[in-house]
Amino acid sequence: MTGAALWYLNRATGMVALVLMTLTIVLGTTVRRHGRLPGLPRFGVVHMHRNVALLSALLVAGHVVTAVVDSYVDIGATAAVLPFTAGYRPLAVGLGALAVDLALLVLVTSLLRDRLPRRLWAPVHLTSYALWPLAAVHGLTAASDLGGGWLLLLVLACAAATAWASLAALATRRAARPPSERARDAMAESVAAFAAGRPAGRYRNG
Amino acid sequence: MTAASATVALLSAPGPTLADHLATHGPLPPGDAIAVAEEAGLTGRGGGGFPTAVKLRSVAGGRRAPVVVANGSEGEPASAKDAVLLSRAPHLVLDGIALVAGTLGAASAVLAADAARLPELAPHVAERRDRLPVRLHPVAAGYLAGEESALVAALNGRAPVPTSKFPPVRERGVDGRPTLVINVETLARLALLARGDSSAGDRALLTRRLERAGRLWVDVVDAPLSTPLAEWLPLDADVQAVLIGGYAGTWVPARTAARLSLDHSGLAAAGARLGAGVLAALPADRCGLRETARVVHFLAGESAGQCGPCLNGLPRIAAAMDLLARPAPPPPDLLPAVRRWCGLLPGRGACSHPDGTVRLVAGALGVFGPELDRHRAGTCTARVHRAFLPVPRRPR
Repeated sequence: MTGAALWYLNRATGMVALVLMTLTIVLGTTVRRHGRLPGLPRFGVVHMHRNVALLSALLVAGHVVTAVVDSYVDIGATAAVLPFTAGYRPLAVGLGALAVDLALLVLVTSLLRDRLPRRLWAPVHLTSYALWPLAAVHGLTAASDLGGGWLLLLVLACAAATAWASLAALATRRAARPPSERARDAMAESVAAFAAGRPAGRYRNG
Repeated sequence: MTAASATVALLSAPGPTLADHLATHGPLPPGDAIAVAEEAGLTGRGGGGFPTAVKLRSVAGGRRAPVVVANGSEGEPASAKDAVLLSRAPHLVLDGIALVAGTLGAASAVLAADAARLPELAPHVAERRDRLPVRLHPVAAGYLAGEESALVAALNGRAPVPTSKFPPVRERGVDGRPTLVINVETLARLALLARGDSSAGDRALLTRRLERAGRLWVDVVDAPLSTPLAEWLPLDADVQAVLIGGYAGTWVPARTAARLSLDHSGLAAAGARLGAGVLAALPADRCGLRETARVVHFLAGESAGQCGPCLNGLPRIAAAMDLLARPAPPPPDLLPAVRRWCGLLPGRGACSHPDGTVRLVAGALGVFGPELDRHRAGTCTARVHRAFLPVPRRPR
């Protein structure tokens, strides 16, 4: 493969991976908020979150492989996982390597989720919130074509979406009632729903 | 001693002190709790009716010494038997703990009961010379606080709510040790069985609740399981139905109840179980649907709020029961909807709280079917509006 093709592939996979990671975070916070997507049952949102995350992991893998294989810049296989050891823009590439490490951790713990205690899985999964800014800053600093134009606009739009989703998740978490009070809330809601002739039982234990 | 004179009812000691206890029952002979439970075919009296020998064996012989938790929490509002047992014969329960702890080589023993009961229990515990001292633990208020995993969670310093059944508390409970959570009446029965009173396993403490001439009557009796239910409750024209087992139990029409005996197969003939030993005779001048709706309201509010089916299902069923309990035509599709929801809940919670609640509801919709028709026509059986079944109102 020619160097130019590798370079284009590298930029494209990186860019699309960032967009998919954004989508993963938005879907993940939707799961966290017990939200629905039009036409999808609630478990469908969970599956979509997982599948989009797996797809973005695949693209990140492609992004890393093309960067290593491309001989135009000096990024070795070790530099792709060991932060700040690359010959080419060590700081920028290092942030990317850090993001790759975190993504690997999140990926492996999620694949093993059935076998891990929730106490271990949950905090590791929360590090995905750090993963996105790392990846985005890596993109902005390592890439040569994010200085302006519609690509930069796309990155900014992704940042806005991630920030909105994170804040919404935080707000939901803060608004969540303690379990001991949920039964009473649900009771009041059901009684009110029946009195008004609405369908009852929309209460969410989130 | 003859067999007849060896039969001593659980509550026969004249007082709660150690001297009364020893004078009535004598000292506890050494023995093997598993063999004693096995021979008598003893079953648990906390509501589940699980074979005690199997339960004891499940925590015996493990790598770590088990913890014995005597469960006197009695979250069932209609039941008073454990409270009566603990105030009248605490040393039978403590004997049972000593027997079981000795057989299992227990690391520690806990007696869990309502906080208000502990001050009167403390001197009885202090009076004894057991090898393993018994620690008293105040149980949190609430219907579910006495559920096995909720009790263990509380003893481990966490919130008193039911937890996942894996790993079960018999494998990992208090302090991570195999834990035996066993009802106090079961322990008292073991203490009598170990003394050679072979009939102790064939009796049960019953909490009777009835009304005679407008006066409420509640008491606790130690009844042989072979006797007919009608011997313990007046099942005349003034009684329309009997609630058997407790709030996770079953309504049985008075006429059917009159044919039943108290043993397992006898009650099973009417789809009922003795459960926590509650027998409540609903007076003829009350509305069974209204009584059930009040209880279901209470039960729905007692959900720990952890599992979706319970948190969404029970309040919905409770609100629907309110409508069905009114002497007015309910929304046309409400009754089939309630029946459908009742089918959706069992087996889908971390504990069996939803299962027990829908058992009560489904039973009530069957037994009080004629009442449903009356309500549809705008009338109701109730002549008296005072509540019959107790529902605690507790600040949260």
